[in-house]
Amino acid sequence: MDAQDTTTMATIVQDDMFTPAVIADPYTYYGRLRDADPVHWNEKYELWAVTRYDDLVWLTRNHELFSSAVFKNDPRPAYPAIDESDLGLYEYVKNYQADQFIQHDRPEHLEMRRVMHSYFTPRQMEAWRPFVREAVKELLDAAEEKGEMDVMRDLATPLPVMVIAQMMGVPTSERGHVRKLAEKLLYIGRGEYDRMKPLTEGMRGMIDYVSPLVDERIVNPGDDFISVLASGEKKGVFTRHEVLVNTSLLLLAGHETTINLICNGTRAFLEHPDQWELLKQDPSGLAKPATEECLRYDSPVKSIQRIATQDVEMRGKVMRKDDRIRWFISSANRDPDAFPNPTAFDITRHPNQHVAFGSGTHHCLGATLARVEGQEVVKALAERFPNLHAKTEELEYQPSITFRSLKSLPVTLH
Amino acid sequence: MARKLRVWVDQQVCVGNAMCETIATNTFRLNDNRQSEAVNPEGDTVEKILEAAENCPVSAIFVEDAETGERLFP
Repeated sequence: MDAQDTTTMATIVQDDMFTPAVIADPYTYYGRLRDADPVHWNEKYELWAVTRYDDLVWLTRNHELFSSAVFKNDPRPAYPAIDESDLGLYEYVKNYQADQFIQHDRPEHLEMRRVMHSYFTPRQMEAWRPFVREAVKELLDAAEEKGEMDVMRDLATPLPVMVIAQMMGVPTSERGHVRKLAEKLLYIGRGEYDRMKPLTEGMRGMIDYVSPLVDERIVNPGDDFISVLASGEKKGVFTRHEVLVNTSLLLLAGHETTINLICNGTRAFLEHPDQWELLKQDPSGLAKPATEECLRYDSPVKSIQRIATQDVEMRGKVMRKDDRIRWFISSANRDPDAFPNPTAFDITRHPNQHVAFGSGTHHCLGATLARVEGQEVVKALAERFPNLHAKTEELEYQPSITFRSLKSLPVTLH
Repeated sequence: MARKLRVWVDQQVCVGNAMCETIATNTFRLNDNRQSEAVNPEGDTVEKILEAAENCPVSAIFVEDAETGERLFP
């Protein structure tokens, strides 16, 4: 390795993943890592950063080596740092999150997922398409009446909660409350120093709200997913706390991520007018591949964490037992070894085996639903607002290492 | 007499979720890439195999009637 490479490596090692520059543009930073040091130890946050497609796939499929029980087993402090006076709240958050099924390994993970898995089959989720289509229409009607829209505030944020609240069997009068709780849960992936307060309020709020619904649905099961989780409690797979935490998880997981798919995808179209023109020629026919390319090009989830269960060698580096490992979806989805012309936003790209939903046993449970929502939005925007334009070039992202979240996306409709 | 099936997994699509292996334990096996392969189309009942196909999160499993070629799933 020559002097130039060493300097580059040193620069990367000094880099803070939470700097505004990297938050604004993760692709340059992670792309450099992917080229120069694909299994990279980040000293500041004490974690391994894995950025290549093949490595991400290998890692996510070898779940015995890479535990998902991160909150339970990671003794290190929260990152980025939190207010010291919130350390008690952080303990609460850790214990709460440790009960999520995604934070378990086999055999518990399989037992827990099995309870919910058949609720989310492709066929079952496709059946929600008419509801999603109607919800999109409703939201766009309201925007049209106002004459302007912030995609984040007016479409991306309300749409997934409308769907999930319906899936939860929440009465219409209570959906505003659920939406407020959902917004507090969004602090999970953010970088603010005092994020523990709204987060714990959201978590406690969910517990208070959902628990009576579970009581009811253990006795009178419906076809909603709280009933599905309640049946898991009845079978002895879930404790009550786990039922409540996993209801929260499904709300958050279906909310934050879908917001990002819609906003990041819309932004991609706004910045690639040739692709927007192409989409408009056949919105129904192109909605599917366009959504896949939105997922690949600017993925809703940037990175996910694991903990090594034993020493593991990857590309000549040795990850030690209990080391934190973050796999970077955003980077893997632009790996030139996996995707020809990876930085091009091409809605006809095929094949498009992106890893926006991960891989292996923890592959996103809600993937089909996310796809249905993405496709319906892409189609409706192209059909209704052919002259959609960005209102501003100055767009800001949330300081999160996990999620790729815009703060707002104001657009003009006509 | 139970239908004879033709079962296969599209390796371009399979993400190694492995729920198929859990549902129809004798029919599906993960290979070295941790992707599923249909190793024995008579390994489980028709119902179990169709349930496994239904539960594949990316619809990578295909099931046909081996004699008539009728597509049973998807």
